[in-house]
Amino acid sequence: MSEEFTWGLPVIGYLFLAGVGAGALTVSASMFLRGGDHGRGMHVETARYGALLAPFPIIIGSGLLVLELGSFQAGNWLRFLNLYKVINLSPMSIGTWLITFTIGVSLVYAYTYVRNAPGLTTEQRYKLRNVVSWLAVPLGIATAVYTGILLGAMPSRPFWNSPILALLFLISALSTGVAAILLLRALFHRATKEPESERHIVHTGYLLTASDAMLIGFELMAVFLFAMYAQLTIGNVREAVSVLFTGGSLAALFWLVFIVLGLIVPALIEIYYVIPKLLYHREFVIPRGVEIGVAVLVLVGGFTLRYVIVVAGQITGPIGI
Amino acid sequence: MVDVNEDSAASRREFLKQAGGTAALGAGAATVALPRAAQAAISEAETKPRYGMLIDLRRCTGCHACSVACKAEFDVPLGSTRSWVEYVEKGNYPTVSRSFLPRLCNQCTNPPCVSVCPADATWKRDDGIVVVDPDICIGCKYCIQACPYDARFLNPVTGAADKCDFCLHRVEQGLVPSCVNTCIADARIFGDLNDPDSKISKMVASNPVTVLRQEMGTEPNVYYINADHSDPRQPGQRHEYIRVDTHRRNQERA
Repeated sequence: MSEEFTWGLPVIGYLFLAGVGAGALTVSASMFLRGGDHGRGMHVETARYGALLAPFPIIIGSGLLVLELGSFQAGNWLRFLNLYKVINLSPMSIGTWLITFTIGVSLVYAYTYVRNAPGLTTEQRYKLRNVVSWLAVPLGIATAVYTGILLGAMPSRPFWNSPILALLFLISALSTGVAAILLLRALFHRATKEPESERHIVHTGYLLTASDAMLIGFELMAVFLFAMYAQLTIGNVREAVSVLFTGGSLAALFWLVFIVLGLIVPALIEIYYVIPKLLYHREFVIPRGVEIGVAVLVLVGGFTLRYVIVVAGQITGPIGI
Repeated sequence: MVDVNEDSAASRREFLKQAGGTAALGAGAATVALPRAAQAAISEAETKPRYGMLIDLRRCTGCHACSVACKAEFDVPLGSTRSWVEYVEKGNYPTVSRSFLPRLCNQCTNPPCVSVCPADATWKRDDGIVVVDPDICIGCKYCIQACPYDARFLNPVTGAADKCDFCLHRVEQGLVPSCVNTCIADARIFGDLNDPDSKISKMVASNPVTVLRQEMGTEPNVYYINADHSDPRQPGQRHEYIRVDTHRRNQERA
């Protein structure tokens, strides 16, 4: 494509990474809270992967965003700090403050998972983890939603100007967050000798895999509603969404990579492995390779979604003059 | 390269006043008595100018003098445009037309670019001109996305968003914008829309005028007489040949 995009790969990367980080933060903190037992619940071993991951994609994503700023590229490297001189009703202003707090909270949350963390006794660490988790869940959700609102706030971009975009990004963020946690766990987890702990690991894996299948179901529904309502209207929005349908320049990427490879295939595999336990109360067994493969597919799908949405919004516009 | 000397500026203003005065005689008969409240509202609004532009396409020859004057006035970097002229060709031989559509920032009454700025680097002045402070702007390009007219661009030299500001530095000195000054056909009329005696107010009142993308609700302050609003992307018009040449780096309209 010869066209130059106002928002290119750094913004796409940011939307994806902030989503993964926010999703991992929310999922990790909520599963930790669900595990009970004040700091040492049954899901804590898996929650650890999400907690230690979450700050990095958010920080890297935000960093990418700074690199793409016109002021930064023109040599005014610290000009972006002007963002912190005001609070106004621009979604980007609210988002800047939100993401700053989220990064802070995610760093504190991650720190409570560092064994023998300097400055904290184990007891203090657990207490802090409990408190910060309650902040991490809403902040992660808000960050994920914000990435959708950022794009949705402009009538001049009919493809983005939809209330369901933020919901779609939220679901995708949670799903990719789950995938990132499962991927890290599959890559780095080493079996311990405690059978109790191993049982917990397997059970948490089952819950996460089942949740991801459900999230993908919701995501398919959100995508369906997004596309269907755009198709059922006339004018700008219908014209814009036509890039996703027959003959549209993004149709192949959207349907084959995002919908099929990124949503349907991983969901079917997850359902295949979840069903024996869900319906017949058998043991949940999933090969590590499959777990890795599914997680990678979901992450690729999540990136493709951001790519398709960001590009589609910029190659379409209001019709007429 | 900016300044016309003071004398010629003054004489131009004088000329504009006279032209306005002459037109006022003609329009005087059309004056309608207004309720007192409405009159009070108008006189309050009158205290502040609301700058606007009217482009009379019956007179435009598509010569690009406005684009060139603008480029020179602001030293606009290569590949960027504050002001440009689109050519619209349509029809099938022998029923064809070719028209011109000079474009610039619409200085909207409801500017979508202003409401998305996260750094308060762009705002609408009391006189209606939407300005950008390049020393505050961080170059996030949100406003560029939000403008339905593609009037903004990222200035690669300053790293800030940039756009037409009705030649604010000239208007503050009582001069007309550079594109208006240079127009060979007097197709561009600049003035105060709040002053009922200004030439632009009278022209807007006494002609069928249109604005661009009215349905966006931005309420532009740039008006057109006889503009061809054809767009190749309008589904109903696809059976007919329409070609728009934007004369910009992005060949297609945004």
